[in-house]
Amino acid sequence: MNEFSLIRDIERYLEGEMNEQEKTAFEALRQSDPAVNEQVLAHQQLIQQLEYFGRRSALQEKMDKIHAGLANKHVSIAPSSTPEPKKVFSISRRLVLNMAAAAGIALLTSVSTIAFMQRASRQKTTAEYEDVRRVLNHIQRSQNALINDINSSKKAPANPGTYGGTGFAVSNNGYVVTNYHVIAGADSIYIQNTKGEAFKAASVFEDISADLAILKITDSTFKGQPLPYSLKPQRAMRGEQVFTLGYPRDEIVYGEGYISAQTGFNGDSAAYQVSIPVNPGNSGAPLMDNKGDVVGIVTGKQTTADGIAFAVKSAHLKRLLEQMPKDKLPKKEWNHKNNKLEGLSRVEQVKKLEDFVYMVKVYN
Amino acid sequence: MKHNQNIERDRELLLGLTRNDDRALATIYTENYPSILRMVLQYNGSEDDAKDLFQEAMIVLYEKAQKGEFDLYSKLKTYLYAVCRHMWLKRLQTGSWQLPLPEELEEVLPADDTNGIAEHEEKDQQFRIMEKAMGSMGEPCKTILEDYYVRKLSMQDIAEKFGYTNSENAKNQKYKCLMRLKKLFFEQYKS
Repeated sequence: MNEFSLIRDIERYLEGEMNEQEKTAFEALRQSDPAVNEQVLAHQQLIQQLEYFGRRSALQEKMDKIHAGLANKHVSIAPSSTPEPKKVFSISRRLVLNMAAAAGIALLTSVSTIAFMQRASRQKTTAEYEDVRRVLNHIQRSQNALINDINSSKKAPANPGTYGGTGFAVSNNGYVVTNYHVIAGADSIYIQNTKGEAFKAASVFEDISADLAILKITDSTFKGQPLPYSLKPQRAMRGEQVFTLGYPRDEIVYGEGYISAQTGFNGDSAAYQVSIPVNPGNSGAPLMDNKGDVVGIVTGKQTTADGIAFAVKSAHLKRLLEQMPKDKLPKKEWNHKNNKLEGLSRVEQVKKLEDFVYMVKVYN
Repeated sequence: MKHNQNIERDRELLLGLTRNDDRALATIYTENYPSILRMVLQYNGSEDDAKDLFQEAMIVLYEKAQKGEFDLYSKLKTYLYAVCRHMWLKRLQTGSWQLPLPEELEEVLPADDTNGIAEHEEKDQQFRIMEKAMGSMGEPCKTILEDYYVRKLSMQDIAEKFGYTNSENAKNQKYKCLMRLKKLFFEQYKS
């Protein structure tokens, strides 16, 4: 009997597929031949194992399915007392993520810093120039806002759109200088002296980069008088005592301080840094030295620091006046040397000076 | 009172397990796995360790239930927990990593349960051999045997599935397959 037919017979015997006759014959063979009997027992064991394998595999499959379902609802099987090994795993995963993010940021930062530094060193002057403009604009804006605030609190009902600043006479025939940012965008401009007399004025010349504007009083009622001061052509020295008169409020206000640096905001060589109390409304005020000559025009202050104000140098104003058409403003009108303030006490200087310092009121 | 109710419920679940009721299996599994997971993690095991251990305990329980030899003296939960703890203890002892065993794991299990586990271990060994033997079987033998002994398809179904003209031909194929399996299995088993 070959192996195949033996297996077949054993299978048929165990599965109960044999008829009575076959069964008897097979049992007889099994008893007479121990080898066949052994094969039958071995086969029985195999089938048993196979069935156990089947049961267990099926069970395992089912359990894996249930387990997968559990894993989906992870919250219910991993209670709050989630123990260490799992924790360690999740932390390390988070750590990896965090480290990846940190590494990315570090890389980005260093690359952009290198790029920025290279660019900055190459285009240093340009960058500074732009910076100055931007920050100056910012200062002007904040000043204007404050000016608006002050004036509108007093005059808001009558003149809701009023701005204000200070100006001072540069000639005895009605020319007044102030800051460009004071009169920028103005519909009409009035200047008012300490006696409360107001005169209509118009802007005749503007220099945006120096932040200066020349106004002409157009009112026929205005009568000029000879100026007691002159524009100082030399620059003022560091530490020089200076004083100013301006209109941070409705009344003229005196303030004094000193030149602290030869350059203005971010190294602007057209201006001084001045340590002097400056408030919104002081814009355009004259900065005078002890002799009573004009050394500068107050323009703004640094909002981020205390006691730092800026004033455009008088040389700039001079240059501006020189550029004016000669028929409008002959040079002799402003380029005089008669200083009537020198040697006077400060009180007397101020008393004489205040007739030439005006409040500039702007409507738009 | 409540205790009796619980036992009653466990008994029903076991009966369900005997009848191959998938719902009963799922209920037992989901209700008992978390505490085993906690235990294994507590003793420095992994989540996979917990899964293996618990499924093995479930197999022991299932085999006992199938044979109808399982008498419920304690709650199902207690039984499964005890079996798992015992097996985990053994693994820790035989494993390559020698950890100081926690006091409470040193407890000896009831004699009856230990027998069940010893029997299971022997079966488990044979199961591994069978798994290996089946793994090295080629097609179509592997699928035919799995269909017949695992999925319990009839020879008629198998004949249709594999395109044999009749179930006799399929049976002849199955005999050939068994012949090969027998060789593979006993080679491993005897060595």
